[in-house]
Amino acid sequence: MPNADGSIVRLEGVHKWFGDNHVLRGIDLVLQEGDVQVVVGPSGGGKSTLLRCVNLLELPSQGHVWFDGQDITDVRTNLNEVRTHMGLVFQAFNLFPHMRALRNITLPLEKVLNLSRTEAEERAREQLQRVKLEGKADAYPGSLSGGQQQRVAIARALAMRPRLMLFDEVTSALDPELVGEVLQVMRELAADGMTMMVVTHEMGFAREVGTRMVFMDGGVIVEAGEPRETFANPRSPRLQEFLGEIL
Amino acid sequence: MSAEAARTDLPPPASLEAPPDIRGDSSPFARSILTLGACGLALVLVGTIAIQIFYAVAHTPDPQVCLANGIIPYQPATASGPASGIQGWQGVCNIVLGLTSRAETAVLVTGIVLGVASLGIGLLSYRKADTRRKRDHLVTGAVFGGQAVNFGILLLIFVQSPQKFVLQFMNFYQLRGHDGVALVTGIKYTLVLAFGGEIGGILIGLVVALLEISGRRSVRAPATVYINLFRGTPLLVQLSIGYFGINLGLGLHLSSFTVAIAVFALNMGAYSAEVFRAGIQSIERGQMEAARSVGMTYLQAMRYAIVPQAVRRVIPPLLNEFVILIKDTSLVIIIGLYLNQLDLFSAAQQGYSDTFSATFFLAASIGYLIVTLPMIGIVNAVERRLRSGLVSVAGGGV
Repeated sequence: MPNADGSIVRLEGVHKWFGDNHVLRGIDLVLQEGDVQVVVGPSGGGKSTLLRCVNLLELPSQGHVWFDGQDITDVRTNLNEVRTHMGLVFQAFNLFPHMRALRNITLPLEKVLNLSRTEAEERAREQLQRVKLEGKADAYPGSLSGGQQQRVAIARALAMRPRLMLFDEVTSALDPELVGEVLQVMRELAADGMTMMVVTHEMGFAREVGTRMVFMDGGVIVEAGEPRETFANPRSPRLQEFLGEIL
Repeated sequence: MSAEAARTDLPPPASLEAPPDIRGDSSPFARSILTLGACGLALVLVGTIAIQIFYAVAHTPDPQVCLANGIIPYQPATASGPASGIQGWQGVCNIVLGLTSRAETAVLVTGIVLGVASLGIGLLSYRKADTRRKRDHLVTGAVFGGQAVNFGILLLIFVQSPQKFVLQFMNFYQLRGHDGVALVTGIKYTLVLAFGGEIGGILIGLVVALLEISGRRSVRAPATVYINLFRGTPLLVQLSIGYFGINLGLGLHLSSFTVAIAVFALNMGAYSAEVFRAGIQSIERGQMEAARSVGMTYLQAMRYAIVPQAVRRVIPPLLNEFVILIKDTSLVIIIGLYLNQLDLFSAAQQGYSDTFSATFFLAASIGYLIVTLPMIGIVNAVERRLRSGLVSVAGGGV
C-alpha cells in the first residue's frame, strides 16, 4: 500500500506542462498526518501549481498523486468526493459574491454533504466563531475587508471537516495590517493538529508554524527539511541566495 | 518668534455650512439672452402645435378652399354614383390650412429671428462673461436659438406645400373604426410573439451556452453549428423555411402564429446563447475553482455559483436583443397571420391596403415606440445601476 507509512498525501514524479512551459519537473513529496508543510520559493517556481495538483484543480501531465492510499490521478477516481476531504483557500478568496457569508459556507454543506439546512447553519456558525466572525454571518463579501473575506473562505473550507487544508498564498492579496488576523487563524489551526500544506511568502510564519518545509525553484524541490534548521543553515546556494534577497 | 506671531494672526479656518457656490451670479444681460433663445424655440415648436389645436378645435373648413388644396371633400354614395373624395377631409384640410396659414409663417419667422439674435449675441459674448453661471446662461441661450433657427427653417420650407404629405401621412380619420382597433390588438399580438420568442430563446440560449463552453469539441461543435446557422441567415428566410417548407411542405398543420413563435425562439436562442456564453466567461475562473474545491460537480458549480452571477451581467444585452426582436416580429407578415391575431405591422399593412393611406405606418411606428422606448429606458437604467455597483455585489474586494 502506498500509505503503509501513514502518509495522507504522496506525490510521485509529478510533472506539469502548460503548453511548452514545463512548470513542474518531477516532484516527490509525502505529507504525514499532522504535518504543517510549508512551500516557499521565488515567484514562478511552481509552488501554486504544485498545491493545485494535490486536489487536482490542475491535472498533472505525468506522475501520480495518492490521497489516503488512493491514486486520485486514476481516471476512475470520484474527484468530487476526494475534494470534500481537502479544503483549499485561495489567494483571491473566491467567495461567492452574490451570497451572504453564512450561505457561502452552508451551500456546499447542503449540496455536497447533503446536510439539512439547520445542521449546515449550525456547523457554519461554529466555523464562523472559530475564525471570530460570528457577527458577520449575514454580510455580503463585498462589505467585508480582505482579511475578513479570507477568514470566511477558511471557515467555508473548514466546515467541510476536511482532513487536509491547502493554503495558496492566502495573505498575498491583503493589506499589511490585515495579514496578522489571517495568520492567527492558521496558527490556531496548526495548533489544533490540522494537516496543512501552505504556500507562502511569510517567512516568519513558515519558520514558526511549519513542521516541514520545501524550497522550490524552477519546477523542482531544491531543498527540503525542518524549517528552523533549514532557514538557519541553508545548504543549497539557491536557497542562500533567495533568503539573502528577501531578508 | 516673528513667524509664530504671524501664525497667530491668521484667521481661524472658516467652517463652511455647505460647499461654496463656485458658479457665481448671473446678470440681467445673460438671463435675457437665455430667455430670448428659449422664446424662439418655444415659438417654433409650441406655436406650431397651438395653431394646429386652434384649427382642429375652432375651425370649420370651406370645401372650396380644401378642393383648391387638392383635398376632395367626401361625397357619400348616391343612386347616381359611388362614394367619392376623401374620408375625414375636414381634419386633413384643417391640418393643411393651419400649416399654410399666415399665423404659422409669422410664428416661424419670428422664432427664427429671435433664434438668430440669441445665437449670435450668445456666441459673441460668452467668452467675456466673468462668472460660470453667466457663461452657462449665454451658451444655453445660444444653443436654444440655434435649435429655433434649425427647426424654424425646416418647418418654413415644409409649410410651403405640405398638402401631399398631410394627405398621405396625417389622415388620422382613417385610423378610426375597425382598423384603428386592429392596431391596438396588434400591439398585443406583437408582444405575445416577442415574449414567446424571448422566453423560448432564453431557455434554448442558456442550454446552448453551456454546451458552447464545454471542454469537449464533440459537445461544442453542434452548438457552434446551430449558432452560426441561425446568426448567419436572415430571419425572413428562417420564417419562410419554418412555415412554408417545414409546416406546410411536410404537413405539420401548425398555425402560422405557433410557427412564428418557434422560429423567433430558435433565432433568439442563437443570439442569447452568445450573450450567455460571454456572461459566463466573464465570471472569474476562481469562482468555478472555489466551487469545485469544496466538492461541487461542474453542473452544481454552474447552477449555484456561476450562472446566478452571469445572469446579472447579461440582463442589459438580453434586453437589447429583446428590443430588436420586438421590431423583427414585423417580419411575420411574410407567412401571414390569421386576421384575428394580426401583429402591429400586419394590422397597419391591412389598413394601408384598404385605404392607401400611409398614416397607418406612422401609427404603427408610434405603436412600436410605445413598447420599445420604455424597454430602452430600462436597459439604460439597469446599465447605470450595474456601473454604479448596486446590482453587482461582486468585486470580491481584491
